[in-house]
Amino acid sequence: MEFTNQVIELLAEICQDDVVKEDPNIDLFDSALLDSFGTVELLVQVEERFGITVPITEFDRDTWNTPNNIVKQLADFK
Amino acid sequence: MKLLKIIKDFSYTHSENTAFISPEKEITYKQLWSESEKVASFLINEPLPNGSPVIVYGHMEPEMIISFLGSVKSGHPYIPIDTSIPIERIEKIIESSSSKLFINVSKQSFSLENSFVKIINFDEIVDNLSENTEVSTENWVKEDDNFYIIYTSGSTGNPKGVQISANNLQSFVDWMVKDFPINGNLQFLNQAPFSFDLSVMDLYPALASGGHIFAITKDMIAKPKYLFEAFKKSNIQIWTSTPSFVQMCLMDPSFTEELLPELTVFLFCGEILPVSISQQLLKRFPKAKVFNTYGPTEATVAVTYVEINTEVLQQYESLPVGKSKEDTRILLVDENWNEVSEGEKGEIIIVGPSVSKGYLGQKDLTDKAFTSFEGQMAYKTGDAGYKENDQLFYKGRMDFQIKLHGYRMELEEIEHHIAQSQYVKMAVVVPIYQNDKIEYLTAAIIPSEHVFEKEYQLTGAIKKELSEVLPAYMIPRKFSYYDDLPMTPNGKIDRKQIKEKVLV
Repeated sequence: MEFTNQVIELLAEICQDDVVKEDPNIDLFDSALLDSFGTVELLVQVEERFGITVPITEFDRDTWNTPNNIVKQLADFK
Repeated sequence: MKLLKIIKDFSYTHSENTAFISPEKEITYKQLWSESEKVASFLINEPLPNGSPVIVYGHMEPEMIISFLGSVKSGHPYIPIDTSIPIERIEKIIESSSSKLFINVSKQSFSLENSFVKIINFDEIVDNLSENTEVSTENWVKEDDNFYIIYTSGSTGNPKGVQISANNLQSFVDWMVKDFPINGNLQFLNQAPFSFDLSVMDLYPALASGGHIFAITKDMIAKPKYLFEAFKKSNIQIWTSTPSFVQMCLMDPSFTEELLPELTVFLFCGEILPVSISQQLLKRFPKAKVFNTYGPTEATVAVTYVEINTEVLQQYESLPVGKSKEDTRILLVDENWNEVSEGEKGEIIIVGPSVSKGYLGQKDLTDKAFTSFEGQMAYKTGDAGYKENDQLFYKGRMDFQIKLHGYRMELEEIEHHIAQSQYVKMAVVVPIYQNDKIEYLTAAIIPSEHVFEKEYQLTGAIKKELSEVLPAYMIPRKFSYYDDLPMTPNGKIDRKQIKEKVLV
């Protein structure tokens, strides 16, 4: 649970919007909270904070689309 | 025009060589030439005023460059518009340019409510013409005639059209093929949409040297997995992109010489090239040369260049943008147009044959930024810079124009559009910097009365309105709301204080 909260906290920082905490199933790309540059920032921060390296080629907008899904994907990389 | 003549020659001598590769389709030099002859022939038979610009709308289809060449071969400049540009902005461009004809390359049906422009689908043009259609070279745009017009952000809320003539473009292309190692049948990457003049940096130098353009699409950029699969097969030799784009690629450990073994040249333009990116590139691509360049759309893509090697990296903390191309002078002046001394900061003035004649149909804006200097066109960039050891260094803007991920925009234009929202009384847009580079934009807003419970719902509603008038890259990432915003003693909005406020 702690990991989930940390990831969502990070997303709120990157998206600069607390909506990701309120609605962890929101589609980040459809709602324009995240774009390709935000994605890069996210992956840089994930590496710095959690020590998880995600190659950008593994990042797919269809499966990394919501805060909850991103938590799930990152948990698999751990 | 020399450039067109050279492309024509290639279409005979290297007729089966590939000119342009997009994910769905490739075309040869022969196809590029003969198809664009059809477009030109069609345009010549349309009742268009002399020199009136033709809008070409689409994304990365080969038919885009066929239509570009078709336009200029019929004596008309083209205005490239990418499918990412919202309709309202397109209507403004049509109005401001008085275009009468719109070629729709996108394969999507397209209609406009508020314009009288004639819209024709690309296929309808070429399907009705024979394979042997030819137009006389007499019709070609030449010398001071406009070749293309690219619209950039304007501070009044309306985009402005930069007119680039045949002479302007020829000066740029001559420089590229002479001073960069990009000659002879090479494979060029095209990353930028055609409505962004960074695309000109690979498009015409490639066609002028018999090269091939490998285009990547916005769908690939959204799904880097496909992007990298395409890279693997691409054989790219000349790389042109914004530093932001290559930074995204560097995020993947497989972005190395192994992925792109033929890559020999990186060309960067559009924003500050950070030292760290250059270091990583030299390490991962030991055979490649990295070039930094600088220039505004108004002076045809770029006018200065420098190779970034280990020596340069050791010498400077922030990288130079180099020295000017041979036919161009860079002046650094104070408010009274007196040249400043070496090492001192001044406004960058560009003088030379690649400087535009000005903004289409906007004499006031043109007179403010362009002038004649010792018999040549000069452009006041609004950029600050200084010179050291013959090298030019860029030191940011003197006004509210910014660059975000390579896209140039006026903060005032964004503010203008946010303030139009029914939910907004007043808006100020603040760029948030990290190490000299803008990371994202924040909008500080005084909201009107609204029914939303939560701020993020209000933000969602405003962003939705904005997406109808502004391209996505101009919409601020963060919105924050205040009861009032600080003013300076003489009644102007106090950007400095607002910046401190939004950073809390």
